[in-house]
Amino acid sequence: MALLDFEKTMKLLEQYGIRFSEYGIAESPGEAVKLAKNLGYPVALKVLSHKVVHKSDVGAVKLNLEDEKEVKAAYSKIVKAVGKSKVEGMIVQRMAPEGVELLVGGKQDVQFGPVVAFGLGGIFVEIFEDVSLRICPIDHEEARRMIREIKGYPILKGARGTEPVDVEALIELLVKVSKLMNENRIKELDLNPIIAYPKAYLAVDARIIK
Amino acid sequence: MRNLDPVFNPKSIAVIGASREPGKIGHVITKNFLDGGFIGNVYPINPKADEILGMKCYPSVMDVPSKIDSAVVAINSRLVPGVLKECGEKGITGVVVISGGFSEVGNHKLEHKVEKVAEKYSLNVIGPNCLGVLNPAARNDSIFLPIYKMGRPKVGSISFISQSGAVGGCIIDLAARAGVGMAKFVSYGNASVVDEADLLEYLADDDQTRVIVAYLEGVKRGRKFLKVSKKITKHKPIIVLKAGRGKAAAEAARSHTGSLAGSHEVYQAAFKQAGIIEANDLNELFDFSKMLDYPVCTGGRIAIITNGGGTGVLAVDAAEETGLKLASFSKQTEQKLRKLLPEYANATNPLDLIGDADANRYQKALDIVMNDPNVDIVVVIVLFQTVGIDSRVVNVIVKAQETGKKPIAVISTGGEYTEFHRRIMDSYGIPTYSSPYEAMRAVSKFVEYCGK
Repeated sequence: MALLDFEKTMKLLEQYGIRFSEYGIAESPGEAVKLAKNLGYPVALKVLSHKVVHKSDVGAVKLNLEDEKEVKAAYSKIVKAVGKSKVEGMIVQRMAPEGVELLVGGKQDVQFGPVVAFGLGGIFVEIFEDVSLRICPIDHEEARRMIREIKGYPILKGARGTEPVDVEALIELLVKVSKLMNENRIKELDLNPIIAYPKAYLAVDARIIK
Repeated sequence: MRNLDPVFNPKSIAVIGASREPGKIGHVITKNFLDGGFIGNVYPINPKADEILGMKCYPSVMDVPSKIDSAVVAINSRLVPGVLKECGEKGITGVVVISGGFSEVGNHKLEHKVEKVAEKYSLNVIGPNCLGVLNPAARNDSIFLPIYKMGRPKVGSISFISQSGAVGGCIIDLAARAGVGMAKFVSYGNASVVDEADLLEYLADDDQTRVIVAYLEGVKRGRKFLKVSKKITKHKPIIVLKAGRGKAAAEAARSHTGSLAGSHEVYQAAFKQAGIIEANDLNELFDFSKMLDYPVCTGGRIAIITNGGGTGVLAVDAAEETGLKLASFSKQTEQKLRKLLPEYANATNPLDLIGDADANRYQKALDIVMNDPNVDIVVVIVLFQTVGIDSRVVNVIVKAQETGKKPIAVISTGGEYTEFHRRIMDSYGIPTYSSPYEAMRAVSKFVEYCGK
């Protein structure tokens, strides 16, 4: 079990056409500020380290940074929390606008091989275990069924006056992830969260275990 | 694809380990072949006996002068690989190994030997560690449970495969009692050579089999199973009862969102992907298979006819809960019904024929409702407790189904008298249920399958 490093993870996502929110990698607070300016505020800072698996658990993620001062402060806080020796750099990511939080995962099953999972983020997955699964690979039709199957589906269709999210884009995403799982030796894949919008989606965090 | 015909339709069969002692499995199997009226030749094999149950006994299959299609093996596990070799030399291709004492008790080495011999001689070995095979049409019965203890079902079109012998025995016994007809039954035990995917492939091509029902604890080749069943469910329904659904193991693996794929959830995903219908227990297994045994596929608009208002309401509840849609009768139907019914009755769906309904009223109502183009499936509630209802209503329903070309499901809740009539209807291929919920669950699975 080894965590795939960030660059390789991004390369793999890119290769399969999975949309990831805009980012850059900084090696100093100064670089981070420059990147943030280019990306546009607000931004998020996340540690780049193959030694940290659950980044938010150890204080290695800072969100909604509004200006230069906040970026610099966040940078040093993360370095302090993680320990200087483990820090390989800092991912500066543009904060994704608000939308519906989803997760897409992949896993190996002893009997059936690669499996793809889809669910709504937050309490939906943690408390209601509202997740649909399929054996990889899947086609568009199966992906559509997978999305419709979750109990939270009405939220995607636009409940309580919100606009419906781009289900077609999510179908495309699931097909791509299932293909990625099927064609690579991956133990676990975690795209969590993915933010869905009325048009398109953005993966905000990705974790792959080889 | 494996040719399992010699296993299910042998013209001649050797019982290896046939015994003179009534308590022995080898005796029960030999006797069952005789009592069951097996049409082909039976050759008891036992080096220590000359004659068993009036039949000449041979020391080995090699000593039998004629050709043998199939063998049932009920001997000490240590001797099994050697005996299989003899079967191979003799040209037998289908072997059912009843004997236990292999991987299920940790003896993987011995099971591996079985696999080796099977591979060398292209033997289709069922088992080891299984209950046997049943094909009522061919009177082929290698089940080692005595007939007086476990009933044998009549010939029908539902085929069962069961990993477990114990559950398999219950299935056969229940089917026999409920009047459910069976095409093929096989308990396949350790599945070391022939596994569930092979059996599904065989049954998919079997003309007698209309519905395939499986009791599984796990599958040998997950991807093959998925691929095979996905293909089959396009033309034959598969219903599965999967054991080992326990959450404990899955929960442990679920500590974070990355490990959402607990094993049973993955099985369920595979079933969905393959178009397999999942049952939660043995009752559902029967409930669903009876309904899916209908050779037609229809839409999902349900008509309910009842002689009890309360049960009618319960049925409407159950229909809604299971996602079924009630049909709206056509104007014509309503007009015709109004003429038939007492003035105070409503000519709408659910159609209450009122407590004094008799077979005659059922017949007329069925005739009208079955011919309504807005109706796809008719659920008939018959409460046998009332004065007007007796055996004649069974006749009416059987006739309506034969001529109507639309599936009928019957709900009859009650005791001995009711159960007696239910069995008759079931034996005519009309699925009956003891409660509205059971019926609607089954009907909804039928509609779901048809909709695919």
